[in-house]
Amino acid sequence: MYAVKSVFGALGLGLIGFYLGLGIVAFLRWLFGYSDPWGGEINIIGGWVLGLFMWLMGIGMWGQWGREWFGLKTYTRQLPGWQRYFTFNTDHKVIGIQYLVTFMVVFFLAGALAMLMRLELAQSGNQFLSNAQYNGTMGLHGILMVAVAVAAVIGGIGNYAVPLMIGAQDMAFPRLNALTFWLVPPVAVGLLATPFLGGIEHGWTAYPPLAIYTNSAQVLFSLSIITFGLTSILGALNFIVTIIYMRAPGLTWGRLPIFVWSMFATSWIALLYTQGFAAALFLVLLDRLGFSFFNTAGGGDPLLYQHVFWFYSHPAVYIMVLPGFGLALELIAHFSRKPLFAYRYAVAAFLGILGLSGVVWAHHMFTSGMPNYLHGPFLVATELISIPTGLIFLSALGTIWLGRLWLKPPMLFALAVIFNFACGGVTGIFLADVPTDIHLQDTYFVVAHFHYTIVGGEIFALFAAIYYYFPKMTGRMYSERLAKLHFWWMFIGFNATFFLMHLPGIKGMNRRIADFPSELDPVNLAISLAGFFLGASFLVFIWNMVYSWVRGPVAEANPWQARTLEWQTSSPPPHENFPVPPVVSGGPYDYGVPGSKHATFPVPSAGFAGAPAGGGGQ
Amino acid sequence: MHGKHLISVALLWAGLTAIGELLVFADLFPPVGSHEAEDFDSIFRFLLILGIPVFTFVIAVVTYAALTWRVRGDQPDEDGPPIRGRGWVPRIWLAITGALAVFVMIHPGLTGLAKLQSSYTAYGWGPEEADLEIDVTAFMWQWTFTYPDGTEISVTKGKEVVIPVNKHVRFNVNSVDVVHSLWIPAFRMKIDAIPGRTTYMTVYPTELGAYNDDQAYRVQCAELCGLDHSKMWLPVRVVTESEFEAWLASLKSEGK
Ligand code: HEM
Ligand SMILES: [Cu+2]
Ligand SMILES: [Cu+2]
Repeated sequence: MYAVKSVFGALGLGLIGFYLGLGIVAFLRWLFGYSDPWGGEINIIGGWVLGLFMWLMGIGMWGQWGREWFGLKTYTRQLPGWQRYFTFNTDHKVIGIQYLVTFMVVFFLAGALAMLMRLELAQSGNQFLSNAQYNGTMGLHGILMVAVAVAAVIGGIGNYAVPLMIGAQDMAFPRLNALTFWLVPPVAVGLLATPFLGGIEHGWTAYPPLAIYTNSAQVLFSLSIITFGLTSILGALNFIVTIIYMRAPGLTWGRLPIFVWSMFATSWIALLYTQGFAAALFLVLLDRLGFSFFNTAGGGDPLLYQHVFWFYSHPAVYIMVLPGFGLALELIAHFSRKPLFAYRYAVAAFLGILGLSGVVWAHHMFTSGMPNYLHGPFLVATELISIPTGLIFLSALGTIWLGRLWLKPPMLFALAVIFNFACGGVTGIFLADVPTDIHLQDTYFVVAHFHYTIVGGEIFALFAAIYYYFPKMTGRMYSERLAKLHFWWMFIGFNATFFLMHLPGIKGMNRRIADFPSELDPVNLAISLAGFFLGASFLVFIWNMVYSWVRGPVAEANPWQARTLEWQTSSPPPHENFPVPPVVSGGPYDYGVPGSKHATFPVPSAGFAGAPAGGGGQ
Repeated sequence: MHGKHLISVALLWAGLTAIGELLVFADLFPPVGSHEAEDFDSIFRFLLILGIPVFTFVIAVVTYAALTWRVRGDQPDEDGPPIRGRGWVPRIWLAITGALAVFVMIHPGLTGLAKLQSSYTAYGWGPEEADLEIDVTAFMWQWTFTYPDGTEISVTKGKEVVIPVNKHVRFNVNSVDVVHSLWIPAFRMKIDAIPGRTTYMTVYPTELGAYNDDQAYRVQCAELCGLDHSKMWLPVRVVTESEFEAWLASLKSEGK
């Protein structure tokens, strides 16, 4: 079992690196005469950096990449079957599935934490979680889910589908792509280890000065998230280059599938803004070591952090939701058997949101005590975003109008995205208008709103994509009946849970609390019950996926009769994606247009030697 | 070919909207304890009245389409009509959504904001002049309220914040450690307590009320501040002016 050995070997190397890093810092501290060479958080930082590096080397970076630095020959190991998924594999299809499975596991862990929280919140008073335990659970749920929301669709579906959809053989930088994925397991390990250092005490937002005074779990949190930011940035870079340079001949910008457009806009956001969060957390780390960026006692400003943080984290909500929109529109066009309505406007919407996303951050700070003159401009900019968002709805509704709606599981989830986001969008207006936000900020109304947008908008789209691409990825079909059961169960559970959550928010229940006023007992019990109902729906999904992957009937190459390129090759596709590189000659959604063709696969004539542009890879 | 469908969807939309608008009459809010709360409730209702048709429009189209045009057999037997949406529909859509967005931006957004802010450079809500000023210090995980005469209310003393009705009461808010947030749900007002900066909020209570009658009468910390964040609250009582004076005097005589 080469794969198992290599993973455990790399883990071992990582651990050795970690302790070596601790030791080196300790040695330096000893040299400089510190009384407690082992006791500083800076030791953990040293350990993290070295551990991360050795882990990457062990998992395959050395063989595929590092050897080059010393003039040695690199090697790749092509392993058969499932073992591929446990090695430093550069195939974007493997990486997509690696991302997807990893983040589904994280999603279910974080979901279990949500169940714990709802159990505690079923009744006022502290039942079985202490305040410290509740805060740790809440923080971990939040940051794990944020990670899922940022990376599952982009890393999983994006990696898998984008090169196929544009007729490329792989991403532009396959080795970088593999590196991007293998940075993720340390992030997961780091975050999951936080409870052993006392738990995350500051939620996923980590506002200082609190984040400066908390236990050392903060350091693991920061290091993990900075590393995670790195994967986001590198991934974004890869997508941008891939989408610009690797498109099949004839695949002009005006013929690009809308999901690819959404990934393009999203990648720019990730590339431009992720540094903000990373920088902010880095400065927090420095503050913990004695600097004073945010610590008032030393002349720092706590609000500065909030500005830098939201400068990333508002755009981050678009990193989460734009690929969700893209998927929803993509699937709605295929399953309505119609061209995407107002395609150009939808593209403009993605680019418009990309443009506006960077100038609205302070709407998260309306009650923060920032100077009054900032409220007006941020209110205006925030309301403006509803205009491009409205265009997404126009496109979706126009496409289903008079369509032939094929209500397969992916389509049901895609329609639910539109349904859910309508609710999340409307409640957003209440939060963008300062007079209403003053009361609602930091209450369960906000919790309801962001679950509607993130879960309703993105996680539903993720499930849509999983049901859409499952036959492509595995070559097998799942049980449609179980998939529909999952859909209705999850849809009803989700809406029950999170619609109800608005109510205690308005009534006066603030968020991030282990205990609440006893007046709100009945509604909280109802929310908890609905939450458990929702949680249970995923068991159907897990069973269906696991069973079908192993035992499901063999799928056709194009079970949805879709026109885009990824469906014009076998399921699963061969390593090089297309035995014959495609040439694109028309739009991706020209359903109902007689004689239209999206792409052809010309057999190269005998004398034709050059590889078609956009094939590439290396 | 659109006509029949347009009418059906419009009817469905109208029906759903009629049902949805009933939410406006629902008992959604905590008790109205102040002017600010009155304003909040009416703005909230206004946005609800506007927002519900937007929501039901989407729901109506999606539901109608899914019911009317769904493929009944195993496979779609034909494609839909290739409508591209290049003509006037997107332009009208843009005009309507743009107008709506600009409308709520101006009212109740900017108009409401103008009412809440007395100057561009201040750090907080409401008029800067007030009849009563109370200094609030937040710390992990409680509050101290200091009245003009030096009376201090905190967990260890008094344990209840008392303010007079029909007066402008200004809270000057400060923190000694981390960021907290002063929130009184019955007044719908909230401002963060930041170390190193004084923020304020002025409220005008219009009703008598107390925590024992409704739990929305409490000061609650609304910004995660660590371990006992959820326990960081104190009851509030709004009393008549004479009762207020008497209360202050009684605390004085107890010897503060
Ligand atoms: C299984 C259904 C879920 C339930 C019942 C649930 C419930 C909760 C609860 C009770 C909180 C604490 C709210 C607070 O006090 O602020 C919370 C926070 C949060 N949830 Fe969920 N959640 C679920 C799924 C998700 C998903 C799928 C995501 C994202 C993809 C997500 C993202 C978050 C985030 C970002 C926070 C904020 C944490 C923080 O404030 O630091 N949740 N959730
Ligand atoms: Cu935002
Ligand atoms: Cu607090």
